[in-house]
Amino acid sequence: MKKFNIAIVGLGGQGIITMGTVMKNAALSSDLLDVSGSERRGGAQREGYVETFVKYIFYENESELKDPRKNMHSPMIEAGGADVLISLEPLETLRGACYLNANSTVIFNRTPHIPISVRMGQSSYPDISFIDLELRKITEKIFSYDFDKICTDNFNSLTQRNIIALGGLFAKTDMPIESSAIEAILSEGKGASDNLKAFDLGLKL
Amino acid sequence: MNKTNLFVSGTEGDKGIVLGNEAIARGALEAGIGYASMYPGTPASEIIAVLDKNKKKIENLYTEFSLNEHISLHGAIGASWSGIRSLCAMKNVGLNVASEPAQFLSYTGVKAGLVVAIGSDPGAPSSSNEQDDRWYSLHTYMPIIEPSNIQEAKDFTKNAFDISEAFSFGIILMAPSRLCHNAGRLYFGSLRGRSDIKGNFKKDPENYLNLFNMAVKNHAKYLKRNEMLKNFLITSDFNKIINSSSSKIGFISSGVIYAHLMESLDILGIYDHKILKLGFTFPIPNELIKNFFKGLEKVVIIEEAEGFLEFQIKKIAYETGFRGEIHGKDFFKQAGELTLDDVIAGTAKFLEKPPPVFFDLALKKNKELLNKDKMPQRSGTFCVGCPHRATFYSILKAVGYSNTEAKERDVVIAGDIGCYTLGLLPPYNAMDFLTCMNAGLGIGQAISIFDKSKKVIALVGDSTFFHSGIPVLLNAVQNNADILYIILDNSWTAMTGHQKTPSTREDIDGTPSANTLNLKDLVKSLGVEYIKSIDPNSVKRFASLIKSALKEPGVKVIIAKRECVLQEIRRDRLLGKNKGSLHEIEGSLYEIQKSRCVKCDECFVELGCPAIILKKDAEEKGEYYYIDPVSCVKCGVCHEVCPNSAIRKVEFNLNSKFKLKQKINI
Repeated sequence: MKKFNIAIVGLGGQGIITMGTVMKNAALSSDLLDVSGSERRGGAQREGYVETFVKYIFYENESELKDPRKNMHSPMIEAGGADVLISLEPLETLRGACYLNANSTVIFNRTPHIPISVRMGQSSYPDISFIDLELRKITEKIFSYDFDKICTDNFNSLTQRNIIALGGLFAKTDMPIESSAIEAILSEGKGASDNLKAFDLGLKL
Repeated sequence: MNKTNLFVSGTEGDKGIVLGNEAIARGALEAGIGYASMYPGTPASEIIAVLDKNKKKIENLYTEFSLNEHISLHGAIGASWSGIRSLCAMKNVGLNVASEPAQFLSYTGVKAGLVVAIGSDPGAPSSSNEQDDRWYSLHTYMPIIEPSNIQEAKDFTKNAFDISEAFSFGIILMAPSRLCHNAGRLYFGSLRGRSDIKGNFKKDPENYLNLFNMAVKNHAKYLKRNEMLKNFLITSDFNKIINSSSSKIGFISSGVIYAHLMESLDILGIYDHKILKLGFTFPIPNELIKNFFKGLEKVVIIEEAEGFLEFQIKKIAYETGFRGEIHGKDFFKQAGELTLDDVIAGTAKFLEKPPPVFFDLALKKNKELLNKDKMPQRSGTFCVGCPHRATFYSILKAVGYSNTEAKERDVVIAGDIGCYTLGLLPPYNAMDFLTCMNAGLGIGQAISIFDKSKKVIALVGDSTFFHSGIPVLLNAVQNNADILYIILDNSWTAMTGHQKTPSTREDIDGTPSANTLNLKDLVKSLGVEYIKSIDPNSVKRFASLIKSALKEPGVKVIIAKRECVLQEIRRDRLLGKNKGSLHEIEGSLYEIQKSRCVKCDECFVELGCPAIILKKDAEEKGEYYYIDPVSCVKCGVCHEVCPNSAIRKVEFNLNSKFKLKQKINI
């Protein structure tokens, strides 16, 4: 049995949940491939912290699939258990850093979204270099982009930001599923042509 | 893949990515339900929402978003007695409201299968408490099933209807938010035929009438049925023992925590202990536990909250003469969500085995990061353009309170449940207490009687008011309370995904509601003399109205009426009105004129609109406030609050023959 754990974090309204759903739908080809993962929806639409997990489980064979000691999986990812962390907000990358280990890959958005506590002057937003530094203490595999800018430059909107990051995920990690499976899902959904273009932009990062 | 169609017509052999809540609904559909109802509540809302959304495509399905859980469960009982399999869903605290029908359900029994699906919320990310509803069953005798994953959520729900009918109990299906909102692969099953779903209420006075000795008789009957169910559960597939020939250590768990346990054991590389998976966590047959205890010296029970299983199993251990150790809450916490990490750490500690190095390192690093002052808290807030933001701004202005000045607010603000609950968070801090539905006015009324030195404002949303607020308001009127009651009427149960309320005037597709209630008339009929209605976005008028209302004696009601902005935008988009889009040719936008802005913080902090952001000024090396046109929905409230008239509305028409001198950079 092999596992591939992806943690996606960010803020309500950034399309975090959608990203997870697309990634899960792209993994329905084989009975030996299971996929699940819980979503934290509390802050949806209201700029609170949102996270979703995508856990791919690859069973070696039928007997492993039927083994009760192997075939039941938590909807969560354990501390240090993520192969990949994708974050659509720099500060939230640090909050998601609990899922990282020395081999994890991090892909994060460099555009900050200022929390209310900072607005009120009660705390300050960390310097982006501090975030880089802290992440580097855990893993070398860090990729960060200004996804907001890439998205507004190309689409004059932020709607496709999550799909660009999804493309980035395929560009920078050893994803165990094919990018064509993602494209097939995107091409059936709403806003297919923009999403396919966004995914392609991400793939070229 | 078109998930919606699969939900309706998927059959044996089909698979799809489904949310835990949808899996529960699908299980009920496969079992042939004809009735589904709930009062919306996170994390359970999607259970009924997905059925309601698809009901036109499903033969003989009645769905209802009831006004409260008490009504909703009674509806399910009525449907069951009419021979219709029924599903009633609610969040954990919903059972408090529905506890009265729940108390009677075992007395009377069911006719057609009845399942109550409850979404619990450990860690309370979307709730005002962490209550574990399983304890109710010690007195309601409603059997409890606990699925561990998405597949079981569907399969258990489907089978629960048969068990419900066989033993004449309403069955509780417990799903914590980690299951409700777990999305993953589901194998569909076959659907029961729907053409013969037809109600036929048959009188059954022996069961349905509860009074005097009839109630006593029914009490004895359900105790007997409970014993029969226990017998069935000794060998039923719902409970599973994973045997081990060598180990003297046993684990007992259920639901999502069982899934955490199995993953933990895999991460720790431990595959040799005996494990009991309880699919039914009430009742638990002594015989089953006795069988499991055989050969064991040490047992640990892993579960959420205070230890409902441990409570029952320790009693069974005493009755069956088990002499080994029983552990549970000495290794696993009672308060807060029991996460996968907690189960790994607790299991490792129990087995006296160190957890993996990567795990310890990650926990240590996380602690270090969170301890640093460099991690500002992130709390949720109102959506951009939300009318509640304007309401809280108006209240705080009316009572002379400012976020930027450290000053005690001397007006008591009573909170309640809904989107507006977010007003208790910074920057507003505008609630002094918050507990359950309609506690605000009830508690506030007594405060107004006993502390005459303070003015009291109680808040309520339209959906919460209709849920159980009407008697509270009537009570306040009848008892001459001195209180200002503000009903934040946004026409929807917004927090849970926009279910209709009696205030909904127009559906999302523009269809007018057939039976919209006139809230003002209703309040008037309760005997309230001071009633005003206002658009909350007119913050200056609203603030002065609150100020004057607070001077009046008795119960004052202000209805702050403005539709949830998300619904307004969605409708406009659906009807092709394109509001809020940057692609429009003709329209308007709000902008802050740098030259006039003195950074007084009225819009940025006091109003706290997230569309107003701080930008670095490249040339002057300073910072300035800026309205992000991508997020702004043009509610115009910032324009009204700016004391320096620095925020202006710009109307543009790109087709205009008058050319702009300067290009507006949006």
